[in-house]
Amino acid sequence: MKFSLQINASPYHSAASLTAYHFAVEVLAQQHEIYRIFFYHDGIYNALKSANPPDDEISIFKNWSELALKHELDLVICISGAQRRGLTVENIASGFRLGGLGQLLESTILADRFLVFG
Amino acid sequence: MDLIVTEHGFLVNFDDWNEVVAQELANLNSIILTPAHWEIVLFMRGYYEKFNYLPNTRIFVKAVANQFGVEKGNSRYLQNLFPESPLKYACLIAGLPKPPTCL
Amino acid sequence: MTKNFLFVLRKPSYDGIYTQEMIDIILTTAAFEQCVSVLLLDESVFHLKASQNAAKNTAMLFELLQTMDVNDIFVETESLLEHGLNVEMLTQPVQLKSRATITQFMTQFDVIFPG
Repeated sequence: MKFSLQINASPYHSAASLTAYHFAVEVLAQQHEIYRIFFYHDGIYNALKSANPPDDEISIFKNWSELALKHELDLVICISGAQRRGLTVENIASGFRLGGLGQLLESTILADRFLVFG
Repeated sequence: MDLIVTEHGFLVNFDDWNEVVAQELANLNSIILTPAHWEIVLFMRGYYEKFNYLPNTRIFVKAVANQFGVEKGNSRYLQNLFPESPLKYACLIAGLPKPPTCL
Repeated sequence: MTKNFLFVLRKPSYDGIYTQEMIDIILTTAAFEQCVSVLLLDESVFHLKASQNAAKNTAMLFELLQTMDVNDIFVETESLLEHGLNVEMLTQPVQLKSRATITQFMTQFDVIFPG
């Protein structure tokens, strides 16, 4: 089955982005496909590479970057949401790219299942 | 003429706008205004005045199509009037704030 | 390809930039020639209240939806009543759905978009 996800919450405001990450890992483990993950609203903060939490905490952007590298995931951050919140191309973690709402729409139309977290 | 504009060249005060100001904003961006330009510029000015909303490119093109038909509401026609970025320059000349660049 | 979208809004207009960012998605979906319906639950019923004084008057944004052929605006009856509103206080006509029928109502859509 082909999944698309949207993530709307920042890493520290709620458990939503971590839940989404666990969900994505499990989807891939069960041999399903993830067409695209779109980061919107405060979800754009998942891509902030200058985040530097203590060593005993989860580094969410590293999780996403590693997962993207391993499975060739398409992680898209909404460009207008990022611009509004000051996330620029210079401080985006590897594996993420900036894109528009057209990419979100495409992912909802082409996926069998579309899930929103946060 | 002394226009107060933002660092991106957009008019700071919506109410400072008039047709002479539009002409000046167009000159500054090397755009020669024809009746076809005015149609879009005045439409966008009315759109923002009414809805207080700045569209992305996709919504802008569709709004133009709904107002003037698909022969004008398509990116080729608008690109031809406002090269580089139809949404940006239509808003700029209409005295609107800088729109989002989500598309 | 056309899908049948239902956007389920739950937040009020005075909740930061959230609603405006949802309107961006709803309008973009309409611009992509998809079928778009909107359901207002909980505090989102305030979007259609006249005389708002929030950062953005979201009633105008709902009027904008109409210009993009988004005419199917549904409101949960109980949400409206629980927030002290009635249909006469709203800025545009809506279709009412009772809470008991919402689950069944949602089954007709291909994509349910929470917001």
